[in-house]
Amino acid sequence: MSRVRLLPESAIRWTRAATQPGGVGGVVGALILVTGVTLVLEVVKTFLNLPPIVITYMIPVLIAAIRWGFLSAMVATMAGAASAAFFFYQPTHTLLVEDPARRLGLLLFAIIAVVAAHLAVRMRRESEIVRKREKEIGDLYAFSRRLAGSHSTADIFDAIQRHLSTVVGRKVALFEPRGPAGRSEPIGEGDVPENVRDAVAAVIAGKADVAARMPIAADHGDLWLVRAVSPKTPDLGVVAIDLGQQTPESEEEIRARIEAVLHDAASTLEQIGLAHAITEVRMRAESERFRDALIGSVSHELRTPLASILGAATVLCNAPAVAGEARLAALANVVRDESERLNNEIQNLLDATRITGEALQPKLEWAEFADVVNAAVERRRGRFGAQAVEVDLPAEMPLIQVDAVLIEKALGQILANSAKYSPPGSTIRIRGWRDGDMLALAVSDQGAGLSPEDSAHLGERFFRGSRHIQSTPGSGLGFWIANSFVAANGGTIEATSAGEDKGTTVTMRLPIPANVEQMESISSE
Amino acid sequence: MSDAATAPNVLVVDDELQIRRFLRSGFELDGYSVSEAENGREAIRTATLRPTDLIILDLALPDLDGSQVLERIRSWSNVPIIILSVKSSEQEKVRLFELGADDYVTKPFGMAELLARSKVVLRRKARATTGDSVIRIDRLKIDLAARNVFLGDERLTLTPKEYRLLQILAQYPGNVVTHQELLKEIWGLPHINDTHYLRIVVRKLRQKIESDSNRPRILLTELGVGYRLAPPNEPADAQAN
Repeated sequence: MSRVRLLPESAIRWTRAATQPGGVGGVVGALILVTGVTLVLEVVKTFLNLPPIVITYMIPVLIAAIRWGFLSAMVATMAGAASAAFFFYQPTHTLLVEDPARRLGLLLFAIIAVVAAHLAVRMRRESEIVRKREKEIGDLYAFSRRLAGSHSTADIFDAIQRHLSTVVGRKVALFEPRGPAGRSEPIGEGDVPENVRDAVAAVIAGKADVAARMPIAADHGDLWLVRAVSPKTPDLGVVAIDLGQQTPESEEEIRARIEAVLHDAASTLEQIGLAHAITEVRMRAESERFRDALIGSVSHELRTPLASILGAATVLCNAPAVAGEARLAALANVVRDESERLNNEIQNLLDATRITGEALQPKLEWAEFADVVNAAVERRRGRFGAQAVEVDLPAEMPLIQVDAVLIEKALGQILANSAKYSPPGSTIRIRGWRDGDMLALAVSDQGAGLSPEDSAHLGERFFRGSRHIQSTPGSGLGFWIANSFVAANGGTIEATSAGEDKGTTVTMRLPIPANVEQMESISSE
Repeated sequence: MSDAATAPNVLVVDDELQIRRFLRSGFELDGYSVSEAENGREAIRTATLRPTDLIILDLALPDLDGSQVLERIRSWSNVPIIILSVKSSEQEKVRLFELGADDYVTKPFGMAELLARSKVVLRRKARATTGDSVIRIDRLKIDLAARNVFLGDERLTLTPKEYRLLQILAQYPGNVVTHQELLKEIWGLPHINDTHYLRIVVRKLRQKIESDSNRPRILLTELGVGYRLAPPNEPADAQAN
């Protein structure tokens, strides 16, 4: 580095230009091409006895201009002219040229070569710009498509991060200005060093506008640039860009380039109204959180009196004085059954808030699938007053690694739906089988089936089929909860039906862990 | 225990008056005699002063945490304790079983369920005091003294681990033993999280003792918590007396 500093300013610039991609390589390439042409001309002269055609040296000049730029083309021009003078024109093996016509020819060659090289380089530059524009438009298009599919600020920031990474062409970590957990976490790959995080925090706090101008050196010598994406719209977040290891000179240049790119990107982001979108998504998340908190606390408060009502009703149902009076017993049963239903609905609401509250972290453990199925059937036994339940599981099923309680709840929801929408006297069949690397369980009923409209909306929260809204009570949460619980365990659920009143089959698939055979080889000795 | 034969004493601990009221009626209708406590300290005092055969303990008490009450009572007494709670997390259940709870019922619940569970824990207690070493569940006969297991008239050959599992569960038939406890007892502390060991041995044992190992009737799973044996046959109790 100190060596370079001793040279005059213009020399530094020239050296840098020459060492740019194509610089030194271009000079070497040009010389190789000229040597090649000289050899060919020598062969032509020896064997065919034809006079050398100097214009042939235009070929290396044009190739060099298109591939490596102007410097390389100039080297090719000079080397070409020199080679013609040295090898082919009298007196040979000197750079002198006897014949004035040939001297003029060489001069014309040099002029034409320079002009042609200049044109070729310009053409190359223009086609490069066009290609870059095309790529930028492609990137922007991909970015806007990703934005359109964003349902949360996290999605939007993820899209911004990817976009900036592509545009800047370096590792970019984006920090949300107001992360949910106080301290902002980077979006995107890689670790961000601690001192860079501190700088990010300072920029987010609006304290370090000037100080952050200079790049920050991390422990292992990498330089990081920390910038607000847009100074005008703080909502767009703060980026930390890994510049890698740089000399002070190259650092200055790359920084200028990234600043320019960032500036362009920021104005694009502002134009598409991103800030507004972020605020809106954030408000929606806020109100959802509030609603879930409300449901959570209300459900809890409702459960306490419900425990007394349900308990008292069950005592009444069995008390001899009431059980002996048919009319009173029927009333006591109504109180008991309805409070049980209310309890189930409250449980559904609580489960639903667990899902949206992002508190759903499955506790994965090795489990026997038959145990899960039995528990679900057992728990719902009271519900199958009028339907028969048949369970058909293969004798040997592989162990699975799931949160057994969540899967049991999911299956319980499916069974409850089957019982609810099936006529008395029908049969609900539960069948399990191994399906490749998945364990499948199908619950088939002979009930109301699904209309095309039902099928399309089944997975939605609070969706209820229009045929049942009047006749059958429910909140429309069951299938949604089942779906979320199974998905949290890496599984899938699908519902199929031959049509209205032709029964429904809900199939749950759970992954069989790859190492299950090794796990099952445990001896019981 | 002579009291228990006629009218078992149950102590109901809950700060909600309405819950205590229906529990009192429910238990009294079923032939129990009931005493009440509305907080933790009162519960501990009552349990020391009055002969108690069963405690129904709510977890959310105004003064002490229910699990503290459980721990204190366990320090001097092995009276059966059934926990009531609005929380139904499996971790919580595991913790309470390991503190010595005999059973766990999630609120809201029906009286019939609580009565059935009460009966099971009381029978377990009665059997423990008679010191009978033979347990009969359905067609299965476990002789803990002779270390024999019979299915009907046929003597079963069990591996040491299978027998150990059955033995631990048979010491408290009808009561849940947690995964961690079983793993610790059978494989030792380092394997306390290797649930798959337990699953495999349970599977093999079920193939020997159950008529359909996919629908067990004897060795039952308490999902996310542990295993338990079905309540022993009534005649076994009769024979013991």
